[in-house]
Amino acid sequence: MDNTILKAKNITKTYPNGVKALDDISFEIKKGEFIVVIGPSGSGKSTLLRSLNKLIDLTSGSVTIDGEEILNKKGKNLRLLRRKMAMIFQHYNLVYRLSVMQNVLHGRLGYMTNINGVFGNYSEEDKLKAIELLNEIELGDHIYNRAGDLSGGQKQRVGIARAIMQDPQIILCDEPIASLDPSSSKIIMDIIFNMAKKRGITCIVNLHQIDVAIKYATRIIGLSKGKIVFNDVAENLDNKTIETIYNTSIDNLMINGALKTM
Amino acid sequence: MSEIALRAIDILPHIKICRKGKIKTKNSTQDRVINIFLICLVVISIFSFLPLDIDWIKLATRIPDIGIIFAKLSQLSLKNFDFTLIALLETISITILATVYGILIGLFFGAFAARNLVKNRVVTTCLTSFFTFLRAVPTPVWVLLALVCFGLGPVAGIVGLSIHAIAFFARAFSQSFEDVPYEVIEALEATGANKLQVFFAAVLPAAMSQIVAWAGLRFEINFQESAILGMVGAGGIGFAITTSMQSYNYGVAGLAMILVFVYAYLIELAFTTVKKKYIQ
Amino acid sequence: MLKINKISIINQREKKLFTYFGIVVLVLFVGATYLTKFNPLEVLLNSNEVWKFIIKDFLPPTLTKPVGIFDAIFITICLAISSTFIAGIFAIITAMFGSEYISPFPKVSKIIRGVATFLRNIPPLVWAFILFSSLGIGTGVGFVALVISTFAFMTRAFIESIDEVSKDSTEGLLVVGATFSQRVFQGIIPSCMQDFISWFLYCIEVNIRASTIVGMVGGGGIGLVLFSYLKSFKYQTAAGIILIISATIIGVDLLTGFLRKKVMENE
Repeated sequence: MDNTILKAKNITKTYPNGVKALDDISFEIKKGEFIVVIGPSGSGKSTLLRSLNKLIDLTSGSVTIDGEEILNKKGKNLRLLRRKMAMIFQHYNLVYRLSVMQNVLHGRLGYMTNINGVFGNYSEEDKLKAIELLNEIELGDHIYNRAGDLSGGQKQRVGIARAIMQDPQIILCDEPIASLDPSSSKIIMDIIFNMAKKRGITCIVNLHQIDVAIKYATRIIGLSKGKIVFNDVAENLDNKTIETIYNTSIDNLMINGALKTM
Repeated sequence: MSEIALRAIDILPHIKICRKGKIKTKNSTQDRVINIFLICLVVISIFSFLPLDIDWIKLATRIPDIGIIFAKLSQLSLKNFDFTLIALLETISITILATVYGILIGLFFGAFAARNLVKNRVVTTCLTSFFTFLRAVPTPVWVLLALVCFGLGPVAGIVGLSIHAIAFFARAFSQSFEDVPYEVIEALEATGANKLQVFFAAVLPAAMSQIVAWAGLRFEINFQESAILGMVGAGGIGFAITTSMQSYNYGVAGLAMILVFVYAYLIELAFTTVKKKYIQ
Repeated sequence: MLKINKISIINQREKKLFTYFGIVVLVLFVGATYLTKFNPLEVLLNSNEVWKFIIKDFLPPTLTKPVGIFDAIFITICLAISSTFIAGIFAIITAMFGSEYISPFPKVSKIIRGVATFLRNIPPLVWAFILFSSLGIGTGVGFVALVISTFAFMTRAFIESIDEVSKDSTEGLLVVGATFSQRVFQGIIPSCMQDFISWFLYCIEVNIRASTIVGMVGGGGIGLVLFSYLKSFKYQTAAGIILIISATIIGVDLLTGFLRKKVMENE
């Protein structure tokens, strides 16, 4: 059976003001891959990610997830699709006044009936799963704290836990470490990478740190002005390509770590 | 306690279990306060319905009549437009005069009520309380009193509006004056300036930006209030609205109301543009 | 040298601005005085008469039939609370549909916001008059006037609160696959509850005044009582009533201010 979990064909997104954020993009993603999308601001990274779970509607083209076309999904079907695809945000997107545990349990809302979800009637098994998960990422001590009381790195860990609770097939990460300090950034990337690997979850991550991309990615996709200019394994990313993506000489870019030169 | 609960405590010993044996998802002590407060609010609100002697059913059946009135109001008519326009001008004049008097007199009293300008606590407290009292009574009440004293017409409106404006500005200005750092006053007093000189040379300029802000805000409010006051007989556009409604000239009333909106909107626009230019 | 030049220019600009402003104000002032024929000197000269009148007729403030008066104040307070409550319930529901982030019908949200902003600018007294013309006077109609004006204000306030506070968290719940009601109860309500309560208390404060004013033109409560006493020339009682009104308002202001602070502190 085909190992492809996501297939994007000729997708285009043109905003009402005429800006073409995505210009006829096609790519395929296999199960278990850790894809990192890099590119300057405005290249369409965020638009691409958000179009995969229909937060943004595409102007044309098709996206197939696990064999299902997402274009026409609405209402209940859309929710069923979304619970298969978790998302981690740059600004964590938690409900700050609720406890850490409640935020993590939100991941199960897609699997619960309307009434149960509204009243927070989570099953005991779900609660146990949440506890195990929080223990694994070392947030056990904060389980009853308000999510808003945590530090940035801790909040993102809650976000990750919420994503994992969904039992997703794919996790989308929109600049997950952009708001974090270097040490928290490493912790978060390690957690995302290891959790995904352990559970066989495919990841698509937006980053603007090229060195981080090279370190974790099985494959890198480089976007520039809405088009794909690189779609290959990390080892093959060379300086020349980076210069094309960011449209400037390598000396003008702040990159740490070793890069292969052609 | 269920098996799941036991396993949970195994992993994280400080997990709380509720009485039914289920794992708790949050720390309920913080929420308790808000919940109790909410329940009190709801209970008080429901009880507040009881003393009201209102025929609810009759009221409900006549609600659709409101739509009819709106329909009548929107049939704008230009009849007597010149009277309406003059009425609007009258309202604007009332607003201007009340604001100006309010500012001038308010500055005067505000200075006396500022604790850093007048050392006598008795005086400042008396003045502040007096103005709090004046402000607590809604403007239309003052206007009503003014109507009794001065008869119908714009004079009552100006006096009534001024009372509230004076009290408002006195309070606002005294706060602005008190905000002036003590060092400024101290420094000038050390050079030998007397109270009055200190006031005009230091305190007033320092508080000026706040004063202007208050004045602008009050002007907008005053306009709305003076439009309303006309409705109780103090002249101006409010009066025009009531008289036309009472004589069933809904079209005229509707037009007058639209004039009020347009004017209020223009004033707001003017202020925001001026603010932008000034802050530059 | 350049520095000195720069400083003087700024000063001159400010001076110019002030002078223009001053001239405008002066012109307006003169025009207004002419139009209304308001002569402050006349007022002051006549004020002798006015003060005599006030002292003789208004003082000392007494309260004939205090029971009736306290009853009326009580009704005014109840009107304020109950109308705010009903308006609040409607406002929360409408706000859910008016905020473009959470509303299941985003296109409708723009209409709702526009209508709410428009209605918000109509003061309660105007509503009172509109309603009195159609439904006749009475406490019930005053109640409706208060509800409508409070509803418009609260809807706008709630929508702003929702947009500001829960934009991110709503998106988080959306991608999880939550339904509309789940997003509301697990996301918006916990995030915005504090703000809602704070606005509710604020509107009660405003409505005590509004209910007095509406009462004056026929809506019942202490306003109507005051009006009738003034009309029947019982000025001493009127003075007493004014004192009571002021005391009530100050008391309510203090109470709601205290409660609002406590609610916001409970962060």
